[in-house]
Amino acid sequence: MTAIASFEGVSKKYGRAPALRPTTLDLQRGVVGLLGPNGAGKTTMLRLLSTALPPSTGRIVVAGFDVTASHANRVEARRRIGYCPQEVTFPRGMTAFDFLDYLGVLKEWKDSSRRHDEVQRVLDLVHLADRGAMKVSKLSGGQRRRLAIAQALIGSPDLLILDEPTTGLDPEQRASLRGLLSGLPGTVLISTHQTEDVSALCDRVLVIDAGAIRFDGTVPELLATAAGRVHLGPTPTSGAVQTWKTGTGLVRSVGGQPAPDSSVVDPSVEDAYLLLRSERHTPQGVNR
Amino acid sequence: MSWHVDAPVWDAYAAGRLDPAAELSLESHLTGCPDCRAAARSQVAPAAVDEVWSRVRLTISAPAHPLSQRAMRRLGVPADDVVVVSAADSFMVPWAVAVGFALVSACVVGLAGLGPANRDVVFLALVPLVPVLAVVASYDALDPLREVVAATPYSKLRLALLRATAALAVALPATMAIGFVVPDMEDLALAWLAPSLGLTLAALVLLTWFEAWVTGGLVTSAWVTVVALLRIGDQVDSLATPVVQVAFLVAAGGLSLALVLRTSTLRIQGGEL
Repeated sequence: MTAIASFEGVSKKYGRAPALRPTTLDLQRGVVGLLGPNGAGKTTMLRLLSTALPPSTGRIVVAGFDVTASHANRVEARRRIGYCPQEVTFPRGMTAFDFLDYLGVLKEWKDSSRRHDEVQRVLDLVHLADRGAMKVSKLSGGQRRRLAIAQALIGSPDLLILDEPTTGLDPEQRASLRGLLSGLPGTVLISTHQTEDVSALCDRVLVIDAGAIRFDGTVPELLATAAGRVHLGPTPTSGAVQTWKTGTGLVRSVGGQPAPDSSVVDPSVEDAYLLLRSERHTPQGVNR
Repeated sequence: MSWHVDAPVWDAYAAGRLDPAAELSLESHLTGCPDCRAAARSQVAPAAVDEVWSRVRLTISAPAHPLSQRAMRRLGVPADDVVVVSAADSFMVPWAVAVGFALVSACVVGLAGLGPANRDVVFLALVPLVPVLAVVASYDALDPLREVVAATPYSKLRLALLRATAALAVALPATMAIGFVVPDMEDLALAWLAPSLGLTLAALVLLTWFEAWVTGGLVTSAWVTVVALLRIGDQVDSLATPVVQVAFLVAAGGLSLALVLRTSTLRIQGGEL
């Protein structure tokens, strides 16, 4: 399958501190989830891909345009990218419609009639159609988050990059967003701490830690790395990565040596992620 | 109800073939007849209703243009430029910086009790920097949407120039007023314009290498140093001579060329043009 975006030996340093180690990666059509702890390099990776940040080394290609080669290529790539950062500070005094209208202009929608139609379309997509005339300052946190996502959807970009899109959304809104993202025709890259979003939505999972990709595969492949390593029993397993008492009173243990009276249970994405994190000192981990 | 709307009348109404009196009668009847209201729904395709509602919603949601935007449109500013300039925060910061500094300059020159010579020095040291600070404040370091804007194809130089122009449209008259309002400053009232043009273009060129605050600091300190040295040499008045004024205009031309060359390939303060 043709890659819509690729990293070729891309790295990023802030001063001397490496935020992303040399990374080579192709992104094809579908939803890709980026999992990792805080400070792992998720946001740096998304900023690099969005062209908001130049890499220290390497080559980034988006929709066939080498964004590290020239300004003209970056502009071409940006015409095909929708980007929603982790935090969007909205200008004061704007309505939801004004905000999207402004971003529409910045995305080169010059004809105001067509631009207004597009603004209304993305407001509909995020279920804010009846909030267009409201000041952004009057919207709830979840509504503002959806508005931030709406600006990334303007123009139906080939590559949609969303940093923690479900933060601040209630379960219904999260489910609605999943429905929206899963129906998009292009490539969607989301970073998230919500492992259930990954299992429910993503065709592919990347786990990043300390600036390096530790895992790259499908959700079933990620789950397979934890098969037989998650147990439920009356007592915690010895040497477990994490244990917690569940609602049934039994203890769920991720990793470690199981007690004789415990039983193996199906792992979740979160279990697999925790196990991967515990193995982070293994060179390349389970990279594909 | 003694009557209900029948199919031929519905067809005529939907096609706009009823005469105005019959149309009014039908619409009045609808307000009091639930059966006919229910029947009306079946007369129009759902897609057509959705389309109408979509248009109604768009009309309600679309921005109502305030006076400032309407004025800009009348002055011939393109509609999309008006949207950019009107983005509240991005406009307010450079506007506030420019006007604020202009007012501070006026107060220092007019109210600090300086002698005539020192007043000229302070005037020429501060006032040409007003546009420089407006431009510097217009760059994306102060934009709350910087990260979002950086990933759009819109030219960041154009964005900054639009904002700076909007700020200067207010700041320049205020700055010029200093020269005319403060007593005994009439001879320098326009002398600051050429240096200011040169300094502003120098700032724009420097912004292709340095961040906004570095650029502001460099231009400001360099200009204040030049004026201070002229004061020491008792040559401040030379800034207002035709030869020096023309020299500033020539320098501004050269800097404009440099700006065009730089902005065709390069980036501004970490974000792309």
